[in-house]
Amino acid sequence: MAKILIVDDEPHIRLLLEQALEELEDKGVELLTAENGERALEAVKREKPELVFLDVMMPKMNGFDVCRAVKDDPATKGVTIIMLTAKGQEFDRQKGDEVGAELYMTKPFDPDEIVAKAFEVLKLSR
Amino acid sequence: MAVISLKKVLSGERASEAVNGILASLGVPIGILDAAGTLLAGKPGDGSSKKYPIELSGDVIGWAVGTEEARSVAVLVSHLAQQHLDRKALAQETLDGYKEISLLYNFVDKIALCLNLNEVAKLVIDETRKNIRSSNASVMLLNQRTRNLEIIAASGREHSPKMTLKPGVGIGIAGTVFFSGRAEIVNNVATDSRYIKGTNKVGSMMCAPLKTRDKVIGVINVSSEEPVGYTAANLKLLHMLTAQAALVIENAVFHENKLKEERIKSNLERYVSPQVVKAIMDSKENIVFTPAKRNITVLFSDIRNFTTTCEQQPPEKIVEYLNEYFTHMVDVIFTHGGTLNKFVGDMIFAFFGAPGPSDNNEKRAIESAIAMQKRIKAVPSVWIQNNFLTGIGINSGDVVVGNIGSPHHMDYTAIGDEVNTGSRLQSMAKGGQILVSRSAYEATKDLFPFKEIGSVQVKGKNKSVEVFEVLY
Repeated sequence: MAKILIVDDEPHIRLLLEQALEELEDKGVELLTAENGERALEAVKREKPELVFLDVMMPKMNGFDVCRAVKDDPATKGVTIIMLTAKGQEFDRQKGDEVGAELYMTKPFDPDEIVAKAFEVLKLSR
Repeated sequence: MAVISLKKVLSGERASEAVNGILASLGVPIGILDAAGTLLAGKPGDGSSKKYPIELSGDVIGWAVGTEEARSVAVLVSHLAQQHLDRKALAQETLDGYKEISLLYNFVDKIALCLNLNEVAKLVIDETRKNIRSSNASVMLLNQRTRNLEIIAASGREHSPKMTLKPGVGIGIAGTVFFSGRAEIVNNVATDSRYIKGTNKVGSMMCAPLKTRDKVIGVINVSSEEPVGYTAANLKLLHMLTAQAALVIENAVFHENKLKEERIKSNLERYVSPQVVKAIMDSKENIVFTPAKRNITVLFSDIRNFTTTCEQQPPEKIVEYLNEYFTHMVDVIFTHGGTLNKFVGDMIFAFFGAPGPSDNNEKRAIESAIAMQKRIKAVPSVWIQNNFLTGIGINSGDVVVGNIGSPHHMDYTAIGDEVNTGSRLQSMAKGGQILVSRSAYEATKDLFPFKEIGSVQVKGKNKSVEVFEVLY
């Protein structure tokens, strides 16, 4: 069963993303969450999700470091990573590219776009 | 919202801790099964077990199976499921709010800087149709001149862009909404007495007013061919979009009017003084350049023996003198609210009464003529004072005034018999003389001293013209 990992230190963003992606749950996709970078890395290694929505600004280990670690590990480098961060931080976008993130989305994100992207990555049809 | 699965309820970290903890502490065989009978947690024990339903909002979503204690486990899990459902409901509400913000954010981003009215209207329609299920959508604006609501943009299977509607209470749904300023859902259009049948098939519709700070400028219609149940949430969304759209549309309309005004202004400034331009622009009346009959007074002024006079001077000197002379004459004409029509060689053709003020045309024309004669004697150039002797002819009557010409070259001008008579009077006038027709004389005989010259047969005319000289 396909899995999506949602990583954000803010509980309401996790909840929002989870709720937005509910449609995929109906297609049998499992939604997992992690509230910080360390937990996220553990979850990626343990659960092998197909897709990770990864917040950039997090305590302990930020999104860039998580992304680099995931992409450096041959066992997990195939995971698609979508970085989520505040609008207008062009610097972040560059950094996201450097650490190997597949896509970069800005907050406030468009829930419909998030869902569409998830469907695309998991090659599911609506 | 999707039906809650018991598996999902139990997969939450805290929920699974709580359930597994209870099951372990009870120390008896109890299993939790989903509605289909799949074991999700614990162990059900042997065949003599009892089955207690795990319920959520009256539905059985699973079972706690085992000893008597399974009853309490069923109650606990039911409670956890309820909690899960509440949390999801709250999350959905937050998500809806978030979607609205995101929608508005993108919408404003797209339309905020757009100054082209049609482009704004099209964007509004696209966004509306993207977010609200519909087969047709249109933006209607009030035409300030006709006071009709007109469709300025529409999209859908079929639409009638030419449709107009006189807004009023009970006249069309759009007309009513425009008048009341309150958005409406009409889910069964066929039974609504206000509905005016157009070319579109309309089952259900929503209509929201485009409101600016102080007035309603139009409406947005969204409709579906088949009757659908538009909800209060749909209307709220439409309302939100129209609120933003109204401001941008108002801005675009303002911009378009400003452009039109600028075009008219730059056109006008060729013929009349800046003061008259301002007065015309401020008057709020429709400025008509389309040729139409108007009663005006024409003034022709020409330098006597110009060619002979000029023979003694180099051409560049003549141009210099003419420019100085015209500058003074135009200044006098503009000061009297006149319209400069054209220069033909050394001749000036001006008129009074269009497009600027149309009162006391004859009086202003004669005053202007006197001032022109006096100004020539007061210009700094002594050569002009001594050599430019002008004859002026004035006539008034109905002529056609407006933009006349080919599409490549249009001039705001006056044509007609009375114009020709004015020109003939000018050609009769000697240097320093001002000759007027009877119509101009009749209108001003108490204001200026006149000398009657008598009836004169003018070139190219059957009827003779009565001529009066203004004494000044």
